[in-house]
Amino acid sequence: MPFITRNLIAWRAKRIEDPVARLRYLQQKAGPSPYGKKWRVVAGLLLIGCVLIPGYKLANTKERAFLPITRVSAAGVDIFTNVWLVDKTQDFETYSNGLRIDNRYAVPNEPRVPYPVYPRAALDASRPESRSQPAGIVFHTTESDQAAFEADQNKKLKRIGEEVLGFVKRNHCYHFLIDRFGQVFRIVQESDLANHSGNSVWADDHVVYVNLNASFFGIAFETQTQKGQDLPSATAAQVHSARVLTQMLRGKYRIPAANCVTHAQVSVNPSNMLVGYHTDWSGNFPFLELGLNDNYTAPPAAIAAFGFDYDPTFVHATGARIWQGLGLAEDQIRSEAAAQGLPVPQYRSILQKKYKEIIAALKASAKEKSHAT
Amino acid sequence: MRHNDKVNNNTALGLDVGTSRVCLAERSGEGFQYETQLNAFVNIPYSKMTEGVLKKEKVPHTVNGTEIVVHGNESDRFADLLNVETRRTMSKGVLNPAEPDSLSMIRKIVESLLDPSKDRQKLCFTVPAAPLGAEENLTYHEATIRQILSDMGYEVKSINEGLAVVYSELESSNYTGIGISCGGGLCNVCLAYLSVPVLSFSIPKAGDYIDNNTATVTGERSNRVRIVKEDSFHLNGFFADKLQQVLGVYYDEMIQSLVNGMKQAFSNSRSLPKSGRNLPIVLSGGTALPEGFRDRFEKIFSEAELPITATEIRLAADPLHSSAKGALVAALADL
Repeated sequence: MPFITRNLIAWRAKRIEDPVARLRYLQQKAGPSPYGKKWRVVAGLLLIGCVLIPGYKLANTKERAFLPITRVSAAGVDIFTNVWLVDKTQDFETYSNGLRIDNRYAVPNEPRVPYPVYPRAALDASRPESRSQPAGIVFHTTESDQAAFEADQNKKLKRIGEEVLGFVKRNHCYHFLIDRFGQVFRIVQESDLANHSGNSVWADDHVVYVNLNASFFGIAFETQTQKGQDLPSATAAQVHSARVLTQMLRGKYRIPAANCVTHAQVSVNPSNMLVGYHTDWSGNFPFLELGLNDNYTAPPAAIAAFGFDYDPTFVHATGARIWQGLGLAEDQIRSEAAAQGLPVPQYRSILQKKYKEIIAALKASAKEKSHAT
Repeated sequence: MRHNDKVNNNTALGLDVGTSRVCLAERSGEGFQYETQLNAFVNIPYSKMTEGVLKKEKVPHTVNGTEIVVHGNESDRFADLLNVETRRTMSKGVLNPAEPDSLSMIRKIVESLLDPSKDRQKLCFTVPAAPLGAEENLTYHEATIRQILSDMGYEVKSINEGLAVVYSELESSNYTGIGISCGGGLCNVCLAYLSVPVLSFSIPKAGDYIDNNTATVTGERSNRVRIVKEDSFHLNGFFADKLQQVLGVYYDEMIQSLVNGMKQAFSNSRSLPKSGRNLPIVLSGGTALPEGFRDRFEKIFSEAELPITATEIRLAADPLHSSAKGALVAALADL
């Protein structure tokens, strides 16, 4: 193995905190080839020959089966807690895990209807599967004005909080908002869609979700993202409330921990095919405090499944935790391109084409529905 | 909830099948938990009352005609009470060819640690490396253990014991370094580079060698020598009695053989990494437990002029369980 490659592998491996994930990575990258050196040379020459023959095309690149996204976070343990509604009044709901939801700002919106998902094994715009249950949670920040979290700022804190609530209610922004005192407000009903994730992509081990408003809940923390900040930009009360709210939603809808992600992880910009159009919770989300796996270590699905890229601005805006996932997604693209016998840019453009086909199909379907109504 | 927790956590298992002990490792929350059984058994005369007492005390046993076979951890106590030697399913790292009941008893011991798997759980078990300079003859042993575990419904793979030590202990160096497991039957050595095993071998001098030779010299039973060795022996140059002094002599010889083996293997190997010959060394296994073992190894190692240098020589964090933990890590990485 060349010195540079070896050092690069070792460097990348060092960035993976989980020992099992690190071993998996090293076994994949540094493991011996089942074939001897000679065969590798012969195979390399053949590949170069194929590329140089005019008009040669590797058979059926469109129809290739794509591998499922590699699991890189620690082996996920999905434990669903049985949380039940204890008490309900017109304005409040109380749950058995201590969660209290304030319904005074709740509004209806467009109902959730069956939405398409795309199996990883056959990522095809024309052959989606249909789901109707919420599949995940996207965590947001309101990026609203912040007053110092001090007793003498109480009046200001309350005023800003109410203004934010009014804004998100008018715009049907999220399903829930957690204010700085940790109060949980229901905004859009659970049965309806909220406008929270626009252009976005996520995937679990089986399927890819595109434009998550239809499939994921949106929970917003009233806070602002701080660049390069390691500690959560949330109050202890917010973290506690988010934990019990997440617990309730996961238990009620059997949402896997792997599908609880931040807006920065899922947001994409189709116009330039870059990830991270929104960067809220881009590096300091308290996954573990919420009883979730550190999903920052998972490769962003938009890169691995649809060949999106990222730019230095995104790297600058995010933290080291999310870089692990970025590095792994890049590795994955390279490995899969090699497995398909394609240069990385060509492989990436095949993936991007699949995304564009899916977006076109989604738009056509939406148009059809609006005509029907 | 606790029940769910257990079911979901058991996604993979690691099993260290050692000459002396069989150890099961599984995940427990963010950590690991272990269960160990002595890989030995003893026959005691059958009586209804004895059987009743064993049942009541939940001692693993099997009734075999006019005898009761006690296996696992309790066999030691019964052997001591009856002043007999325990019988061993394995010898020198593999199934004991001189023991007619080795197969049936190792199955019983494994079954006392593991329930059958209903959903093809992954399980990784340890196997020894071929002895240095001898012909590899591990196929029967590995195939037999694999068969026992497959029959129980597990999806099975094996891992070299020394490599398991690397996977358990050398995460900080990207699984690069030398893992040494000093067990009952063998000392297993593996040099790995970025998780890939580069060279592995075993030497047939380990805990049993020390026990048997000490027993011969002192006139004690091997079983008792082992108990004394595990309870109070230390390698600090001062020996309270003859048994300890003799143990010290054989420990020295074993370490010398181990280091000589490393020198021979590494000097003859063409697959050693050209650069990065400064490697960490981790010592594990029950035979590495006595106080002073690491220091003695370091002294002999530094005098031996090997083609590698050690950046550190340390004892595993949990020497008795590191092979099982490494096997579990390998199984988890395979998920």
